[in-house]
Amino acid sequence: MNAQKPWVGQSIKRKEDHRLLIGQGQYVADLTLPRMAVVGFVRSSHAHARIVRIEADAARALPGVLAVVTGQDTAHLGPILSDLSVPKLPGETKRPIFGPLPVDEVKYVGDLVAAVIAKDRYVLEDALDLVAVEYAPLPVVVDAEAALAAGAPLLYPEWGDNVVYHQHLQHGDTDTAFAAAAVVVKERFKGHRCGASPMEPRACLARYDAAEGLTVWLTTQRSHIKRHLLAAYFKIPDSKIRVIAPKDVGGGFGVKAPLYREEILICYLAMKYGRPIKWIETRQENLLNIGQERDQIHELELAVAVDGTILGLRDRMIANCGDARVPIYVSFAMPWLGMMYLPNGYVIPNVDIDLTCVVTNKAGLTPSRSFGSFTGRFAIDRIVDIAALRLGLDPLMMREKNCIKTFPYVTATGVNVDSGDFVGALKKLKAAIDYDAFRVEQQAARANGRYLGLGLSLGIEFSGLSSQILVPMERQPGFGVATIRFDANGQVQVAHGDQPQGQGHDTTISQVVADELGITPDDVYVISGDTQAAPFAAGTLASRMGGYTTSAAVMAARGLKPKLIAIARHLLQITADDSAFEFRAGAVRLVDSPQQQISLQRIAETALLAPTELPPGMEGGLDHTAHFEADTTGMHSCNVHAVTVEVFPDSGRFRILRYVAVDDAGRPINPTIVRGQLHGGIALGISNACLEEFVYTVDGEQLTRSLQEYLIASARDLPYIETHEHNVPTPHNPLGSKGKGEGPTGMVPGALGNALADALAPFGAPITEMPFTPERLWRLIEAARKVDD
Amino acid sequence: MKREITITINDEVHTATVEHRYLLVDFIREIAGATGTHVGCGFEGRCGTCTVVVDGYAVKSCLMLAVQADGAKLLTIEGLARGEELHPLQAAFRDLHGLQCGFCTPGFLMTLYDFLKDPIDSEDAIRHAMSGVLCRCTGYVHIVAAVRQAIAVLAAMTPTERARWFPL
Repeated sequence: MNAQKPWVGQSIKRKEDHRLLIGQGQYVADLTLPRMAVVGFVRSSHAHARIVRIEADAARALPGVLAVVTGQDTAHLGPILSDLSVPKLPGETKRPIFGPLPVDEVKYVGDLVAAVIAKDRYVLEDALDLVAVEYAPLPVVVDAEAALAAGAPLLYPEWGDNVVYHQHLQHGDTDTAFAAAAVVVKERFKGHRCGASPMEPRACLARYDAAEGLTVWLTTQRSHIKRHLLAAYFKIPDSKIRVIAPKDVGGGFGVKAPLYREEILICYLAMKYGRPIKWIETRQENLLNIGQERDQIHELELAVAVDGTILGLRDRMIANCGDARVPIYVSFAMPWLGMMYLPNGYVIPNVDIDLTCVVTNKAGLTPSRSFGSFTGRFAIDRIVDIAALRLGLDPLMMREKNCIKTFPYVTATGVNVDSGDFVGALKKLKAAIDYDAFRVEQQAARANGRYLGLGLSLGIEFSGLSSQILVPMERQPGFGVATIRFDANGQVQVAHGDQPQGQGHDTTISQVVADELGITPDDVYVISGDTQAAPFAAGTLASRMGGYTTSAAVMAARGLKPKLIAIARHLLQITADDSAFEFRAGAVRLVDSPQQQISLQRIAETALLAPTELPPGMEGGLDHTAHFEADTTGMHSCNVHAVTVEVFPDSGRFRILRYVAVDDAGRPINPTIVRGQLHGGIALGISNACLEEFVYTVDGEQLTRSLQEYLIASARDLPYIETHEHNVPTPHNPLGSKGKGEGPTGMVPGALGNALADALAPFGAPITEMPFTPERLWRLIEAARKVDD
Repeated sequence: MKREITITINDEVHTATVEHRYLLVDFIREIAGATGTHVGCGFEGRCGTCTVVVDGYAVKSCLMLAVQADGAKLLTIEGLARGEELHPLQAAFRDLHGLQCGFCTPGFLMTLYDFLKDPIDSEDAIRHAMSGVLCRCTGYVHIVAAVRQAIAVLAAMTPTERARWFPL
């Protein structure tokens, strides 16, 4: 028999798709239980106010309403944040104290006020309208810099200021670097509030019974962590809580990683009222409360030598964290990691960064794909171009000169970049975008009054976060974990800790295990998301699957092989070293004499049903668990993107002509799935950078509460996205594979901002703020034209 | 105000007494139990994942009252395949990775079902046709490719074969 082509590297069709395509996906919203009631929330219409009175009698009197619950009713539950749910980072940290419902004060528009339980959603919505809340408005602050000013209204008066986290990070000698620079460029960059808003909003269904405890179906990326935090909060054993992330969750992108107040409250209500309680978040609630990130200001300075070599960087970084009442992240974990990734793929030996994370009367920041680094990536890639322009250097040459070239490389902020090839990737990108020809076309177009531009970005993308980073950041393990267990019929079950939200984990895990055991992906089935069935792990975040969890699956399979071989040897009644055997075509066989074989099915059947036939002294059963930690603090991929645009100066509108990505997936497990991650990540980046913005007025009113105002890009708003592979396997895991999920989004704003700045170079329009709306561009162009007049 | 209505969904007849304000999408999901149709926005009709085919036309079922569909014939994602055989559009989504989390997929399939009856095979026309449905995972690139495959597969069929795939 011919050798089977490895499954890893093949774009096999996804195992997930059939059920989803015939309408048999099962999301939390699709679940119904006997006696189930629904819950909804009265939310604040004020950005900052004291709750004077909640009048709920009319709502309680409505037929079908079971209860109205206020902060007074839940005050005894106590504060949610504990040492388990606050990052322990090196800077000065403060902790907001809050319970599931506010007792007397609301801190942003959309904040929780009360919960209403009803028999169905129609009654619920009538009842929510009948709850009257009297507020006494308090002073409001929504701007981060205003919140830092003396005399600003305080979100948490006991702190004495509005700073939830502050860190000053220095490495090297920036003063000397800046003194030696031929050019110092300084610019203020602003990233707007936007994020990931999955198509499926949050959902939670909780059921309680005294024997089993609490069962919670939840749209979550991390069921084990949530179970542990819920158990600690309610002071019950972990064993009395079962958290189930269903097989189908409608997108996560980080937004479904925190533990939310609503989820805690619903668990409490299910216990208190003794009946299943279900919450389906409305889109309005979703847009008022979560998916908000990126809200940062960078006052960035770059010191550059005359040949373009970057010598040092200074940044005064301010993050607007909103109310920060977001367990696990407390809204500052994202900007902190954004700071760590600020130098990104550039060699910048000396850095001095001052990070201030500020609380305001906006919703708290929640993680969104590109975790904290979207705005910083925009800033660094823009300032490299600004420096190039000042020195009369080509932006591509600037990147060739300053990119990381020797690996491993540790950035001045302490990030370990293990492997990659920026130089080769830039070469590929230059050819793909036809760089030189575009410059000629651009010149010709300008002569005809047309404004074309090309922009580049360059970045590293983490492939999971190691325990060295994740433990202090979130007190969570970085390891990937997988358990492989044979069924008696020879089928292979893989249980792992990173439940999917659309990434195709079932397919990719099946591919890697199939290769290891010489079977097909169809012989493998995958379990995740249920704390009673899946092993403990931090959950789906930071592109962990491709680097960590698939590696754990490989190691679990390898860990089981000696036993499989020992049983085969015994059943075949031969003596041969382990190395004489191979796993092929569903059997364990001798490499030199393949007809000497025994099927995995027979081995499994023996180990599980007939242990008397096992080698003497061998334990029955056939399973193995592996926890994988890479022997490095950071596996990364190295990626470069280019975009070309045409700007129409009379309207400020622009068109993306081409978007070209050259990405490193190490060793892609399923290239089509990788491509899908790139498309989706880049689309999110373009949508964020151009269309989406959570708009708050100065008094904290939130104006973007529906998808008619918070604009998510449709197919017509986006270009075709061209992708190229430039893979450098990591030496730190068994397959060399790298994760591909988090990174592509953050590559967009730098490339696109640079393209717009390049197109508008004749106007000298500085592109320093997002979103790139026609109005913003038109104003920049008009301002430049006025100066010319 | 309540009324008894009858709606046929994927050839199954459902009769129920519903409030006038009861949305068609709730009838489909709660009364008919066809949970393959989803809700992703605040019933403002922007996400499009609730799209179904009503008497031959793609309709956002969160923007229609159930009573307005009294007597109508509906097709939802559950009704696209013929037994084990996937609709050419479903097959194309599977072949070309036109979906990730699957939440918006019913909206795309049912919107494009309507488009595929008389399609225009161009990138622009396809993107225009599906602009009423939002996807957060795919960036639409593979969806466009899937639609083009479905157009080609359907074009290669005899009119009778093709009509089989468009019962409404």
